[in-house]
Amino acid sequence: MELISDLINYFLNNYDILFGFTAEHVQLVGIAIIIAILIGVPVGIYITTNEELAETILQITSIIMTIPSIALFGIMIPILSIINQGIGFLPALIALVLYSQLPIIRNTYTAINDVDPNIRDAAIGIGMTTFQRLRKVEIPNAMPLIMAGIRTATVLNIGIGAIAAFIGSGGLGVLINQGISRSNSTMILAGAIAVSVLAIIADLFLKYVQKRFTPKGLNS
Amino acid sequence: MIQFQNVSKIYEGDVQAINNVSFNVDNGEVVILIGPSGCGKTTLLRMVNQLESITDGEIRLHGNNVKELNKIEMRRNIGYVIQSNGLFPNMTIEKNVMIVPDLLGWDRKKQRDRFHYLMELIGLHPDDYRTRYPHELSGGQQQRIGVARALAADPPVMLMDEPFGALDPIIRNRLQEEFLQIQREVKKTILFVSHDIDEAVKMGDKITLLRKGEVMQFDRPTEILNHPKNAFVSEFVGQDRVLKSMSLYSIKDLSQAISLKQKVESNDTKTIKEDTSLRIAISILLNQEADQIIVLDDAGNNLGSLTLDLIEQFLHKEVKRTEIK
Amino acid sequence: MSKQKRIAIIVKAFFWILVLAFFYWVVTNNMFSRIIEDPNKFFTLLTQHITIVIVSSFIAVLTSIPLGILLTRPKFRRGEWLVVNIANLGQTIPSLAVLALAMGVLGIGMKAAIVALYVYSLLPILQNTIAGIDSVDSKTKDAARGMGLTPKQILWRVELPNAAFSIIAGVRTALVINIGTAALAYLIGGGGLGVWIFTGIQLFDNTYLMSGAIPVTLLAILVDLGCRVLQFLLVPKGLRLAREAIKS
Repeated sequence: MELISDLINYFLNNYDILFGFTAEHVQLVGIAIIIAILIGVPVGIYITTNEELAETILQITSIIMTIPSIALFGIMIPILSIINQGIGFLPALIALVLYSQLPIIRNTYTAINDVDPNIRDAAIGIGMTTFQRLRKVEIPNAMPLIMAGIRTATVLNIGIGAIAAFIGSGGLGVLINQGISRSNSTMILAGAIAVSVLAIIADLFLKYVQKRFTPKGLNS
Repeated sequence: MIQFQNVSKIYEGDVQAINNVSFNVDNGEVVILIGPSGCGKTTLLRMVNQLESITDGEIRLHGNNVKELNKIEMRRNIGYVIQSNGLFPNMTIEKNVMIVPDLLGWDRKKQRDRFHYLMELIGLHPDDYRTRYPHELSGGQQQRIGVARALAADPPVMLMDEPFGALDPIIRNRLQEEFLQIQREVKKTILFVSHDIDEAVKMGDKITLLRKGEVMQFDRPTEILNHPKNAFVSEFVGQDRVLKSMSLYSIKDLSQAISLKQKVESNDTKTIKEDTSLRIAISILLNQEADQIIVLDDAGNNLGSLTLDLIEQFLHKEVKRTEIK
Repeated sequence: MSKQKRIAIIVKAFFWILVLAFFYWVVTNNMFSRIIEDPNKFFTLLTQHITIVIVSSFIAVLTSIPLGILLTRPKFRRGEWLVVNIANLGQTIPSLAVLALAMGVLGIGMKAAIVALYVYSLLPILQNTIAGIDSVDSKTKDAARGMGLTPKQILWRVELPNAAFSIIAGVRTALVINIGTAALAYLIGGGGLGVWIFTGIQLFDNTYLMSGAIPVTLLAILVDLGCRVLQFLLVPKGLRLAREAIKS
């Protein structure tokens, strides 16, 4: 009980700090996801034309996905130290972009590939160009699954973004980091809860967006 | 034998699925359950092996009320074939076919022998299929395996739920023929669900036509086709019902009921075997290839000739039961 | 060779050259020196790391699979959607948060780390067990019932073999996540290879960083690979064919 009242007090007394960390966290994840989409969606579409390449790319991204996040940060510090960016925002951003590639590329690739061949045939049959076909038929039909990939990547990134605080990227992980070094369990819990809530809200919000992005005819 | 005695089923919320159904499936007989979708035919079939409960009335299997039998034991003594074959994808063909004998504890040797016998029966080479898996087989082959699996423990009774429904017409036709061949050999007591009147006429010794859970007519196929009891049956079997019924009679039936025309000696007339169905005979005569066809017996002896007039006479005598002129 | 194939090979070659160049750079700069200078410490940390992962995952397997089986029985079906939703929500919570929460409740030490990882790995295994059993064709189950298989026989002969692929995939996911999360166990005093990674971050020392991070990475990749091989070996051939048939 004491723990809970401590927590409530902490949130009430420090909402401005909390707000700042949340903003940092959202900024990091947001920029990472936008870059990841700009890379992942075109790559996902492109590899639908080359099965061999698709296999290679998916293998590479799934190997990257397997690398534990703190280990990836550990590996990047020496590499990025060469350009004096070993810790801070950049390594965190690179890591988040890398981790987002598997869900985004895989879902885009699967979604475009899964578009009913009959629909594709019909589109070719009425004389659409490849680009028109992509824009008017394949991408709208693939949208729900692509959005699902983006959602997975976002939720994942919020969690990894918290770990990135240990290499100085800021965000809500700072609360956990500082809490541990000061042995302040209220602070640790506040950080853990805030990150979890952020992830859950992002998940729910993107689920809603996903629904909005689903063409009406596909709601079955 | 399977007896349905005033069987009813009411689902939760007072939905009457089956309403006071009574009929028998005699030993060695194939009875087809047919009707429009939602008429309760599959439900009724599944009530026999207790996959669906019985609200009222009794279903008796060899005289025993199925409700009082041990479900598991009873099911192992009933062959069960469903439309999408329901083969186990994780098991080889041999394991699939031998699942019930295996559960019954048959020894290895007995299982092998039985597998061989069944595969020969359904026309697939046992050693070619033993270690293969369902997904390596075509739809027709899978369905044959489904039939073999149902026959595995040599159950006296079989329940078949649209076993050939998912196949294309040519394969379906072939499997129907094969199945009739098998049935002549094994003489099982079979309840068979179908939605296809042609299949019902071809496969059934008797047909039970259902509508909204009630029996509209229970009779031999010729009776259902030629003497539909009410407007619904008449509409269900189709306006070409008389033509359909012609496939159930052979030229031999005709020659026994009314005699064939005098022998004619002509070189350019067509010939036909006496066990050919009248439907095919009519078709040939209508083709205007000949006004009459010479009927031959198995040995090739000329028995006389057949004309459309004769068929019409036969129709009136046998089917309409009125004499002309 | 087609142009497509050539592009694929070039990309693959580029990736592996990058990996090799990285390892060349690491070795020539003597960044594995911690492992070489203090192999005993390395093995202690590695053993701690593996212990945390194995113990937590093992208990999670023993809990999740039976629970998944139970929840797919007709009697408990009603509970299924609730559990599936909780599992979905639970996996949204970041691993660091779970560790931090475990520390808040249980204090510091390896035990807290094991409990946190256990709770975290319950979800993917449970989810995949339920999904695997639910994916068994209802027609197949109906045929099994109609032929007189008892519910137990249906479970062992039909449902579990058909769900094996999905269950092992769940265990694989859990193991890989656990290896990564165990690297954070240092934060709550749980030991493991994370000790060197975090020391490296604090001291800005590349030898600590690489000696900790690379073994953790290799461990995760090897375990992932091992599970895939296991998946291939354990899943009946007929099911692999079935999966391919669905895909094509």
